[in-house]
Amino acid sequence: MVKIVIDGKDYEVPAGANLVDAAKNAAGNDIPVFCYHPKMEPVGMCRMCIVELGMEEIDRETKQPVLDDKGQPKVRWMPKLQTACTQKVTPGMHVRTATKLVEDARQNVIEFLLTSHPLDCPICDKGGECPLQNLTMAHGPGGSRMVFNDKLKLDKHVPLGDLIYLDEERCIQCARCVRFQDEIVGDDVLAFHERGRSLQIITNSDPGFDTYFSGNTTDICPVGALTTADFRFGARPWELTEVPSICPHDAAGSNISLSTRLDRDAGGKAVIKRVMPRQNEYVNEIWISDKTRFGHHFTRSEDRLLHPMLRRGDTLAPTTWKDVFARVAGDLKAAGSDVAVIAGGAITNEDLWELKQLAAGLGSERLGTWTPTYGGADLVAKVGVGKGTNLKDLGKGDAVLVIASDLEEEVPMWRLRLKQAQDRGAYLVVANARHTRLEDFATQKERNGKPVSGATIRYNVGEAAHVMHELKTRYPEIAEKLAGATNLVIVAGAEGLTLDGSKALMQAAANFLISSGHVGKANNGLMSPLPGANGMGLHYMGFTPENTQHIMANPPKVLIVAQAEPGEDDPTAAAWLSKVETVITLSLFPDKTTHYATYALPIQSFAERDGTFVNGERRVQRFYTAQGPMGEALPAWKIVAGMREALGQAKPKVSAAAVMLEISNKVPAFAGCTYKDLAKVEKQFPDVGGADLYYGGTAYDNKGGLGVQIATSADAGETPAVADVTLPAVPKAKDGELLLLPTTRLYNRSHVFKPSVLVHPRVLLPYVELNEADAHKLGVQPGDVVEIAFGDDTVRVRAGINGTPAGVAVLPRELADKATPFLPTSGTIKKVTEPVLA
Amino acid sequence: MAIINNDKYTQRINWHLSKYPDKRSAVMPLLYIAQEEYGWVSPEGINEVAQLCDMDPTQVKSIAGFYTMYSEKPKGKYWLQVCNDLACALRGADEFHHDLLHHLGIEEGGTTDDGLFTVEHVMCLAACDKAPMLQCNFHFMENLDMAKMKAWIEEKRAELEKENS
Ligand code: SF4
Ligand code: FES
Ligand code: FES
Repeated sequence: MVKIVIDGKDYEVPAGANLVDAAKNAAGNDIPVFCYHPKMEPVGMCRMCIVELGMEEIDRETKQPVLDDKGQPKVRWMPKLQTACTQKVTPGMHVRTATKLVEDARQNVIEFLLTSHPLDCPICDKGGECPLQNLTMAHGPGGSRMVFNDKLKLDKHVPLGDLIYLDEERCIQCARCVRFQDEIVGDDVLAFHERGRSLQIITNSDPGFDTYFSGNTTDICPVGALTTADFRFGARPWELTEVPSICPHDAAGSNISLSTRLDRDAGGKAVIKRVMPRQNEYVNEIWISDKTRFGHHFTRSEDRLLHPMLRRGDTLAPTTWKDVFARVAGDLKAAGSDVAVIAGGAITNEDLWELKQLAAGLGSERLGTWTPTYGGADLVAKVGVGKGTNLKDLGKGDAVLVIASDLEEEVPMWRLRLKQAQDRGAYLVVANARHTRLEDFATQKERNGKPVSGATIRYNVGEAAHVMHELKTRYPEIAEKLAGATNLVIVAGAEGLTLDGSKALMQAAANFLISSGHVGKANNGLMSPLPGANGMGLHYMGFTPENTQHIMANPPKVLIVAQAEPGEDDPTAAAWLSKVETVITLSLFPDKTTHYATYALPIQSFAERDGTFVNGERRVQRFYTAQGPMGEALPAWKIVAGMREALGQAKPKVSAAAVMLEISNKVPAFAGCTYKDLAKVEKQFPDVGGADLYYGGTAYDNKGGLGVQIATSADAGETPAVADVTLPAVPKAKDGELLLLPTTRLYNRSHVFKPSVLVHPRVLLPYVELNEADAHKLGVQPGDVVEIAFGDDTVRVRAGINGTPAGVAVLPRELADKATPFLPTSGTIKKVTEPVLA
Repeated sequence: MAIINNDKYTQRINWHLSKYPDKRSAVMPLLYIAQEEYGWVSPEGINEVAQLCDMDPTQVKSIAGFYTMYSEKPKGKYWLQVCNDLACALRGADEFHHDLLHHLGIEEGGTTDDGLFTVEHVMCLAACDKAPMLQCNFHFMENLDMAKMKAWIEEKRAELEKENS
């Protein structure tokens, strides 16, 4: 800590802190800024933060401050004003922020900025939450000396990409957007062009401003120059009601705020107008991915299942909930304990608990996860990242290993934060069977003038567990650096692996962490990009992929498929689903699974109800009801509770909160996770939203709760033991065939993403990626349509040639209009000539 | 047209790239080469330079936009930059600039229909003692008057005609 003097008062501030931050934190003194952003390097471009700055005079001989007549240290004031944002505090620094000189200067800067600003606030999306408006009110001149006709007239609708529009007149050229892309995302697709009055933001990349994080620039843009295609001209900020929520799409569990409004187009009902980040420095800081931001439209999709449906012959016909509960109870009674449940990763803990209770009441423990691909969630519970982990704390001396995962596509928020850990000095190792985006960072030697360190490991498809298990012998140098790191986080996915392979990889990774002592403490341990927002919740509630395998092999009499889509995901679904006597689906959409259903029951989406998810870092987080229900849909837990009541098991709970209360009493992992606990907040830095939006941007202050991180057993003091790793057989292609490697794409054609129409131009056409030699052998050119045959099934997609490993064809899931394998599968590819694709 | 895989430039490109530890440092000399090949910093040129320097094309365009010596608009074969800064102006450069535009029938910054000449005024080129002067494709033409210019223009037009026939 060092002592500085602000406006005549002494303050203790952290040594080396930025002066703007220090003044805000220690003195509550809001030095106005436009270009400075606490998450980025200062650039001193806008001059809004100017202050008077002085240093205490030091006697050269005694090294003591020189005192004036009154015994006070003599201060040498700099002759000119200084930008506070480019100053680091030093002992004996004196700052004046409230003098006439400073006030005039601030007024002048504002006046200057406004000379080329259109002042079209009445039609501006940012109006009402605009730093330029606020700082003009606080520091600007009361009147204008500008001749209106001298205003610059520029283009007001420049699409920088499909999702972000630039209004050239409004831009004040602070470069926050440019620096966000460059420093934080690492995709420098925005830049300044020309200079002086002609300066403009441009992109000249192909395809334009097209990164998974582009929406964040609209939050930190201090004016309304950047707006999203989703929200522009959609509503005024002051009409919106903010509802705290959690991103339902992936394991990051990004905290979001659903901005809702009663909307004419929705018959006067509350609808989501936009999705904004809600600050949680542990989870997503103040950022969200574009999928989180733009992927909310499914909640209001016209394709949603709206009524409980009952099978009558070949068709499903609407019926009443009462009828459903009575009939289902009958079927369940008849089945005895031959009942099973398969649940997807996007389902809440409350739903899972009721499902578990229902099955238990019937004497069944057959609870499976969908898809049955990711093993080792139990190890995340044992040696996952320690309580109090914040990826933001990883930096110099620390290390991160990402293996068998394409994080950019699976959990973009983690990829964003881990890349930044590398920026801060962490050693980043990326191991995969093919090239991924994160690998680009791991191979760089320097970034933005600073050295970064990393390494990549390439292995044969399916050998991730082997590599992890034998890391010390195969890659001694890398293993040594990882083992010797102060803090070590391993992110282990399941790409290219069978379930056994994934389990072996997780065990090998756990062993590595245990033997190098990187467990049971914050910022150390294991993470897994489990699919869906509640992969860890499934684990804590006793749902496993092994059970799913068993269910698929031994179909039960009654199967409840809860927010899972085996019919969409599994090419072999027909074989096992059709053997189940009674399939009960709980889903948002009628899908290929409902073909097999006797009962197709509509559930509410995350936006219509409250509930909780457990994210990949085991943080239990709560979301709140944002919009009215669609049709007769109910929260899944209520539907199951209705069945339980009909069976005579229990009376339904009155609310999701009551369900969680029961969970917190009965499931040890959830002790201390009542809705009240989950709603607790604490002060976070940087300040955002409200009066502080000039500073951190329009992300929302967290009022809904930071959540509670479940302790690992290592945290709880249990010493985890290294366990044997059974290395499974590596998936191989049959002779003369290719190995189809399923991968994940962030933007896909799943039911929950398809309704986000504005993102469609960025969803790739179904494709397969081939190795050059293989393509040559097959006589396939890039762009050709090929037919892929696997098992009894075929699918037609377009071919791309892109350096995949020899003998391997990358076949992304959820792009084609029918199920493709979710595990590595042997298949054949042949070129077809008829035009078959739109 | 291309600067990559073009024998005319390979040696110079490699030389520029070899001068710096970091490829991106060579971006400015390579932009000149692109301008030489295309007559202006064309989108193709920008993409090629980006590829050579391992940079995002956005960043290359940003650099091309910042410096006035790179032209982001197609130019005539002869890019005439007439100085009309103070010293030249005192020797009649304004009038010379005006007459030249008038003679060619174009506006400031414009290009003649035959694609031969682009005229643009610029600030001091450090040849004040030889005013009026201009820079043609980065080479100085000094102590000018309209008679000299007209003769030179005719010469170039004749050359073009010969090439075309
Ligand atoms: S668009 Fe916004 S963030 Fe980007 S430079 Fe302009 S004002 Fe700053
Ligand atoms: S110069 Fe300091 S905030 Fe812009
Ligand atoms: S003023 Fe024209 S060359 Fe100097």
